[in-house]
Amino acid sequence: MNCFMFPGQPLMVSQAFPDDPDFDAISELTRERAFLDLSALSWTKGTPTDSVKLQVYGVAMSLWHARKLGREKVRPAIVAGHSMGIYPALALCGCVSEEDILELTYRAGSCMARMGEKREYALGCVTGLTLEPLMAIAESNGVHLANYNTSRHFLLSGEKGDIANAAAEALENGAFTANTFPCDAPLHTPLMEEVATPLREIFSGYRYAEPLIPIMNHIDQDVLSASEIPDFLIRELCEPVYWEQTYRALHAAGATRFFEVGAGDSLKKYNRWIQHEMA
Amino acid sequence: MSDQLMENIKQMIIDSLRIEGMSPADIETDAPLFGEGLGLDSIDALQLVVAMEKDFGAVVPDAATGTKVFRSVRSMAEYISENGK
Repeated sequence: MNCFMFPGQPLMVSQAFPDDPDFDAISELTRERAFLDLSALSWTKGTPTDSVKLQVYGVAMSLWHARKLGREKVRPAIVAGHSMGIYPALALCGCVSEEDILELTYRAGSCMARMGEKREYALGCVTGLTLEPLMAIAESNGVHLANYNTSRHFLLSGEKGDIANAAAEALENGAFTANTFPCDAPLHTPLMEEVATPLREIFSGYRYAEPLIPIMNHIDQDVLSASEIPDFLIRELCEPVYWEQTYRALHAAGATRFFEVGAGDSLKKYNRWIQHEMA
Repeated sequence: MSDQLMENIKQMIIDSLRIEGMSPADIETDAPLFGEGLGLDSIDALQLVVAMEKDFGAVVPDAATGTKVFRSVRSMAEYISENGK
């Protein structure tokens, strides 16, 4: 049983651009609806932030990858998204069109970027520590656990200075790595409620069809219905991603082959770690 | 360091990282494992830390040590020879 997993926002542009008609088509849609020239990675209108650029780039690459797998006759029986991976997952499952999801990504990203005009935010990737000590470090530094990827791979989210302090403390307490990355907004934390109202207006402005393929959500591992999608898109920005639970639930649901549909291979590597612990 | 140890380390890398379609002969002993080499990242590094401890009894305590140890298969072998059980 095939599962398509859609990764969240990449932290950097990490792959060469393909030379095929599907990429050309996705590039054209991206230019028209999200104002990003993918090949040059430059905006055709306005100057949104680098985080918005990475979000649009990530969704575009997932849409291209999904088309590529479709051409290879690889079909999923179930789908899941990590973080903003829910956006291209919705397009694959027929809930919204590719062009609408590119536009939604651009609009939502631009909305979230307004938070970054008031404060500086960052993400902190921490590997090696278990949950309990990292939770204590997060609490003592006023930051949030944003991704529970495996038993030893977590993402922190919060204000830039606090994230830097938490990362330093994590290293002092035995973390193997603790890397920080700037971002526009404190993703996957309750702090995102600050922009919930304008985000809700954006998300409720699209019509969502029932998924043609079951989509397992990454918060409580339920299958999404069309009517739940707008609320889930808000909720998933305000709550953590529980990837380990999601992978285990997908596995329990019968998924045996996992395809990472997008830029990078982090989800495959998280799955490898989880499988190692399940063995 | 013996050729057998190098071979065992290469096999450990392939097994622990589940690299498909690669044999120990495909991994150069002195090639960098990260970046332009095998292209490994911090998720892979932690997986190698666990595998090295399990297979060779060599503990890599932190990322600074890991940066030196995981430079190449040869540096891994040197570390295992000095710190393994």
